[in-house]
Order: sequence, then C-alpha cells, then structure tokens
Amino acid sequence: MTTVTSMSADLDADPAIDRVPSDAAPVLQVEGLAVDFFADGRTVHAVRGVSFDLAKGRRLGVVGESGSGKTTTALALMRMIKAPGRIVSGRATVGGTDLFALSDAEMRMERMRTVSYIPQGAMNSLNPVYRIEEQFFDAMIDHGDGASRSDLRLRVAEALASVDLPSDVMRLYPHELSGGMKQRVCIAIGIILSPKLIIADEPTSALDVITQRQVMSTLDKVQNRIGAAMILIGHDIGLMAQSVDELMVMRDGVIEERGSIDRIFAVPEAAYTKLLIDSVPVFDRKPARAKAQAAATSDAAPLLELSGVSKTYGTSIFSKGKIALHPMSLRMPSDRPSIVAIVGQSGSGKTTLGQLALGLLPPTTGTIRFAGAPVTGLSARDQRSFRRDVQAIFQDPYSSFNPFYKVDHAFTVPLKELGFGISGQARSELIAEACAQVGLDPTLILGRFPHELSGGQRQRLMVARALILKPRLIVADEPVSMVDASQRASILANVQALKDNYSISVIYITHDLATAYQVSDFVIVLQNGHVVEAGPPEDVIGASKHPYTRLLINSIPWPDPNRPWASADELDNGPAAPSGAETFAPALHSFSGGVELEVPE
Amino acid sequence: MRFLNLFRLVSMFLLVVFAATTLNFFLPRLIGTDPVAERISAIAETGGGNVDIEAMSQAYRERLGLGDTLWSQYLSYLGDIARFDFGFSIANYPVTVNELMAQALPWTIGLMLTATLIAFAIGSLLGALTVWPHAPRIFANLTPAIMVLGAIPFYILGLLLIDIFAFRLGWFPIGGGYPIGARPAVTFDFALDVLRHAMLPGLSIVLAAIGVWALQMRGMIVTVLGEDYVTFAEAKGVRPTRLFFRYGMRNAILPQLTTLALTFGQIVTGAVLVEVVFGYPGLGTLLFQSIGYSDFFVIQGVVFVLVLTVAISMLIMDIVLPILDPRLRG
Repeated sequence: MTTVTSMSADLDADPAIDRVPSDAAPVLQVEGLAVDFFADGRTVHAVRGVSFDLAKGRRLGVVGESGSGKTTTALALMRMIKAPGRIVSGRATVGGTDLFALSDAEMRMERMRTVSYIPQGAMNSLNPVYRIEEQFFDAMIDHGDGASRSDLRLRVAEALASVDLPSDVMRLYPHELSGGMKQRVCIAIGIILSPKLIIADEPTSALDVITQRQVMSTLDKVQNRIGAAMILIGHDIGLMAQSVDELMVMRDGVIEERGSIDRIFAVPEAAYTKLLIDSVPVFDRKPARAKAQAAATSDAAPLLELSGVSKTYGTSIFSKGKIALHPMSLRMPSDRPSIVAIVGQSGSGKTTLGQLALGLLPPTTGTIRFAGAPVTGLSARDQRSFRRDVQAIFQDPYSSFNPFYKVDHAFTVPLKELGFGISGQARSELIAEACAQVGLDPTLILGRFPHELSGGQRQRLMVARALILKPRLIVADEPVSMVDASQRASILANVQALKDNYSISVIYITHDLATAYQVSDFVIVLQNGHVVEAGPPEDVIGASKHPYTRLLINSIPWPDPNRPWASADELDNGPAAPSGAETFAPALHSFSGGVELEVPE
Repeated sequence: MRFLNLFRLVSMFLLVVFAATTLNFFLPRLIGTDPVAERISAIAETGGGNVDIEAMSQAYRERLGLGDTLWSQYLSYLGDIARFDFGFSIANYPVTVNELMAQALPWTIGLMLTATLIAFAIGSLLGALTVWPHAPRIFANLTPAIMVLGAIPFYILGLLLIDIFAFRLGWFPIGGGYPIGARPAVTFDFALDVLRHAMLPGLSIVLAAIGVWALQMRGMIVTVLGEDYVTFAEAKGVRPTRLFFRYGMRNAILPQLTTLALTFGQIVTGAVLVEVVFGYPGLGTLLFQSIGYSDFFVIQGVVFVLVLTVAISMLIMDIVLPILDPRLRG
C-alpha cells in the first residue's frame, strides 16, 4: 500500500478542522485516506483526503447522508473494501499497527482483536442457521482461542451479561430474538476480544427510539468497560449530540467539518452542518399551522370509522393467539381533512392499525367503514373504488418499486387498473404534474429505473403516486424512517401539503414523536396494543400525562449536547405492559377537528 | 405441534401418491392401442401355426382382468397397488411386473443415484467457487466452460464419450451393465466389471448435471455474498475457509436441496435416454420397451415407482429442511 501524505497536508490547513485536545496519545491515526471505485471505465472518488485521530476512550461521530463515504471510511479501516473499490492512498494505524501494511492473513487476525466492526442492519447480521453461541465461537476459535467449549461458553455468557442479556440467549437462533436483542448480540460479539477500536456503523438505525436509547447506553457501558476508542457512524445528528465527544461531518467523500460536539452545535462552521442540525424536527420549532376549527356536528358519514376494532394473530385450536390491538373505536371526519398520528414502539400495534384501515387485514372483532361502507368483503368493483380512495405510502422506498420497471410504471399501473379513462399525452401530463407537486423535476425523474434514484427521491415519488389517484385518505407507515435527514423535512412537508392543498386526510404511523408533533392534528399513543394516551399533539406530546408517552419523548436523541437524554434508570423503571388503570380512560373522547376516539371498558 | 406437522406432511404425501396413481391408471388407456392384440399378433408372427386368435385373446383378457369395466378395473388396480402388486407383464407373460422391476431397479439406483449425488456435490462446490472472492482465480475462469457443459444434453455427451473412450480408445465397454456371458454374482471381479460399465454413462450424467448445479449455486452464492451476516463474519476475522463453508455454502445450499429432491424424481425418466444410449439394463430401458409394447402393467409399475420416489424425497426434504434451517421450525 502506498502512502501519500500530500493530500492530508493541505487538509490540515483547513480552518474548519480543529484538533480536539486530548491528554492521551491517539490510539487511531488516519492520514490522507482515499478510496476509489472503478466502474464502467470511470473512477469514483468515494473517500478523499480523510485524516483524523482518536484517543483511547473517546468517541468520534461520523455523520453524513448515504453516499457521503462514511461507511466506506469504516470499511477501509477494516480493510474490507470490495472490488471494484480500492484504497488508493493513506495510512491508518491503530495502537502502532499500520493496518494498510499488513498481509491479508495478518489483517484477518487484527479484525476483532484490534478493530471491531458492529454492522448496520443488525436484523441480518447473524447467520440464520446457527445458534448465537456458534457465532461467537467461530470468531474466538479463529483467533486462536481453542479452549474447550465449556470455557468458551463461560466467556460468551460474560459478554452477553455485559450487554444485559441473559446467558440462555446463546442457545437460541437469531430469528428467535428481537431487533434490539440481535443488536446487543452483535455488540457482545464485537467486544469479546477487547478491541482497541470499535466501529459501530448505524447500530440503531432499524430500532425504535426506546430500544435505540437502551442499545446506546449498552454500547456506552461496554466501551467504558474495555476502554476502547469508538467511531459511531450515523445519519441522525440528534443521536450524535447525545452520544459522542467529537463529530466529523462528511459529504461527497470529504470531511466538511470536524470538532468537539459542543463547538459544532454551538457554532457550526460549514453551511452543510448547519443544514443537518436544522433539519432535525423538534417540538419547539413547530411550523405554523391553522388551528383546527371547533368541532361541528355533521350528518355525513365519517370518512373512516373503526367501531370496536381489535386484532388477534395466530388464533387456532391450540393457541389463544397474540392480541396485536385491543378493541378501540376511531372516527375521522369526512367534512374536513385531518392528520392522525399513530405512535408507539415496534410491536405496539401501530402498523396493524394501519393495515386494518387499508383493508389489508380483516379485524378480529368490530367493523371498519369507509365513507359509510364496510371495507371488508367488498365486490371487485367496490374494491377498486376503495383502493382509489384509500392509498398507502410504505416505509421502505427501496422495495416499494419493482426494480425491473422504470419508475413511471408505478404510476401507470394504478391509473390503468383503477379505471381512469385517460391515456397517452394526458396521462404523461398528469404524472409529470404529480412529480412537480412533491418538488421533483419530472424531466430528471421519469424514465429512470428505481436504483438510479436516491431513497428520498423514491419516497417522494411514492407520495406523488398516492396523490395522483386523488384519494381521500392516505395511510403513511413510517414514511421517513429510511430516508436521509435532510430529505425528511421536505417529505413531511409533502405529507402536510396533502391535507392543506389537496384536502386529503392522512393516518401517519411513526415511532418518532417529533415528526408526529410537527405534522399531525391528533395523536394516538399505542403500547402493546392499548391506547395509552390520545389527543391534540400540544397536549399529548407537549404536556404528556402518561409515563409511556414521556418515556418515548425522553428517548428521542435531542440535537443539543447539553440536554440530558433519558437515563438508564428511567428506561429500566419505565412502564412495562399497561395495566387497566394505566390505559386511556375508557370513554368516548371528542376532539377539535372532529376526530373521535372511544376506548371501551 | 410437531406431531401435527408430521401428520400434515404424511397426509399430503398420501394424497399426492393417490392422485398420481389415478392419473397413471387412466393415461396409458387413452393411448388407444390394444396390448393384447399386439401381443397375440406377435405370437402369431413368431409361433406360426393355426392359432385361435379369438379364443386366445379372450383368455388373455380374462387372465389379465382387461375384460371388466374400466371402473372395476380401476378399483381392483387401487387394491393391488396398496399391496404393491402390479400384476403380470403383458409382453413377458407370465413374468410379473415386480420381477421385472426388481431386476432393473438396482442398476438404475446404483448408476443414477450415485451420479446425481456426485454431480450435486461437485457442481455446488464448483459453482460456489466461481464467484467466491477469496477462491483461486482459475475457478472464475471456469464459468464459460460450466455454461457450455450445462447446455449440452447428457445423451449427446454420452454418444461423444462412447465415440472417444469406448470406440476409439477402447478404455471402457461400449454398453451394457456387465459383460455378456458373465453371471451376476457378489465377487470382486464382477463388481469391477460393473464399475467399468457404469463409468461412461455415469460420467455423461455427472458432466452434464454439474453445469446445471454449478450455475444455480453460483446465483445463490451471489445473493448470500450480499447478506449482512457474511460482511459481519468477515469483520469477525473468521478464517476464509470457515467463511466459505459455514456462512456461504451452508446458507446457499438450502434452496439447492429442494431442487435435489425434485431431481430424484427425474432419475428414472432421465435414465431412459442414458440407459437406452448405453444399453444399460435399468428401469429406463424397461420403461422404454414397455411403452413400445403398450405394456400397461409394467408402465404402471415403473411410473408408480417414479411417483413414489418424488413423493418420498419431497417428504424427506420437508422433514430434513427444518433441521437444517431453524427458521422453518414451527
């Protein structure tokens, strides 16, 4: 590996990069790292001139959007860049070991023992066909720990205990664990050989806020225990504010800015950093919106009406099943549009509620009516008109498109299937108009394949696709949880515009109370299928009464290094399953805006 | 719950066998030829003399139960099948179908099953190595050759092998299961002869099938390589061989096994061409000849064995796959 220092030299002169003073000698030193990808005769500079160092026990956050080079930087430190990518220059030493000078076999031994990588997407990071313990053993044995199985098991139990998991977890298979547990297992694997440097690549991006808070506090604890330096990669600048000592902002493969977390939040130097900080939705920066009018009684049938609806999964003669949603009634008015946010952790029943409203799941008890007509058991023709009136936007903009077709296909199919008698020129104009309505330039977007567009662009297309059918209700299930931070605000603005400009009502499903606060007129908080709190966002989120809601709020990583995050105590003593007394008072509640919620005894 | 699942699997198995058996009864009878007439005209040609064709055909029909209505034939057929009794061969009366199959089955199983398993093992390994990043480069360069092999039908390959190794070089016999004149016996010499005779047909199957297995495995490995657990395993510093077998192969092989179960069913049908090309005394040759004579009972017997092989191998896979893939355990 050649070492080029000229690049790092002029970056050192960059005033935006201030050296963070530290008493200890740096455990990690990176100088002039550059990674290129060679494809189709072109060279893409994925990472250029990245230099930084990190002391023992310190934490460096690397923040940036997808494609900013943050994961590539991490993989370069692991020497795991795949062809056609290549480290073209630079130097990286960990505790005196020059990583780029090692042979492949030597580098393999350094992985986990010197540098650990805790991957993104813990959902799939464990080999599905082996027990948890085997996934530890593989790594331990290949680092020369050929001790007996029972000795290895003792150490695995110890590592699991350090991430607050019981030792019997080691006998389970990955699919038997929850997302948070899998991520803890990955952390336990990562630290079992006490590395000098831990690289955690978006370790909590697939988890809900409470689980994220728990996993981050676990990570904090184990890092302190083994005394390693840590690089935390992420796109959530709020999480960075709560977790790291120093921050490095990356964009297009270069460092935009680097400094202590306090300095960066106090006086961000790069305009891009400022944009990232400002794009985080917080409660006190609520956009001005029209106060909902006082509820007026209306004779028209409600737009959506759930009466005594509940859902139980897996009922059979052998099992009573699992109750995903306890009986509840909800009415959304038809005479004025409203945005109802459903918030809760994963497993709280919020997605079930959305699927019920879409008619994708039949309710176990109760009835669901849309504009007065039941949504289940529709004739083929009524089914089509219902589909036209009720549209969905899903979480994952990557798998919402059929990769074999150009994105236009996602527009033309519903237009054909749902009986719009238009074609050719008129249809193209309609599609182009819908793109423009969500702020996309149709000439740049249409006629391209999904993989050519960013996640944010795809998700906005999904909003446009829902919009084009002129529906009356849109169910948006976590529409922004998988897109880059800077795109979130504009997609939420699109959602808001659905109501304000096109009079479309929205059911907004999310685990993020901050965005719920920003866009909704009405919030329902679900815990284990129970409604625990409901009302206008100013009451539910601004002045919440239920401990679970407060826990959700306190778990949000605030983009302010000086504001304390929920403590571990609070998490441990937080409400488990709600007992009868803790749930929302069983009664009929009418709210301004005409939304009504009823929770039976 | 486990017991219930097994019950479900076995019921499904019985249903499949029943449905296939029923089809098996009616399909040969739709061909429209009269096997008894064919048989008797064959006797008349060879035997000569004054044969009372009417009386003889009547006797045959009665003896074989072909005189009854189709429905009662079907019922007695089901009863016989349940007792694994397929009756007499029409063409080789009074030899029973079971006797004919018992002679042929060991040859087919010995040759086809072994060849299929060898092709599966080599093909899967080879296919995986063509795309595995740490594998020697030579394997990646093999891909075009594997594609060519996968595209050649095995009977063409068989003819080619006969021409080169049997006809020109004389290394192996041209055909047959054992030397003409040798009596099947459990001796070392005879076993060696059998092996020499099985070499070329076996090789033609293995070579042709390797390509198909390898290409499928290649696709699966590409998918597995993109999985997070492979990335994490590499980050764990796991040895390359362990990474390959326990993370790559172990996961990529799962869909291959389902295909393998289906392939077992084609062993007999696949055997037809190979066995005919090589004059191999197996079930394929028997089936081929029986179709020529419209020998219903033999066809029914062979096809039943075929149905049973597919159904049993699927049943075994349904039981084995959950052991290999914990996610499938209910």
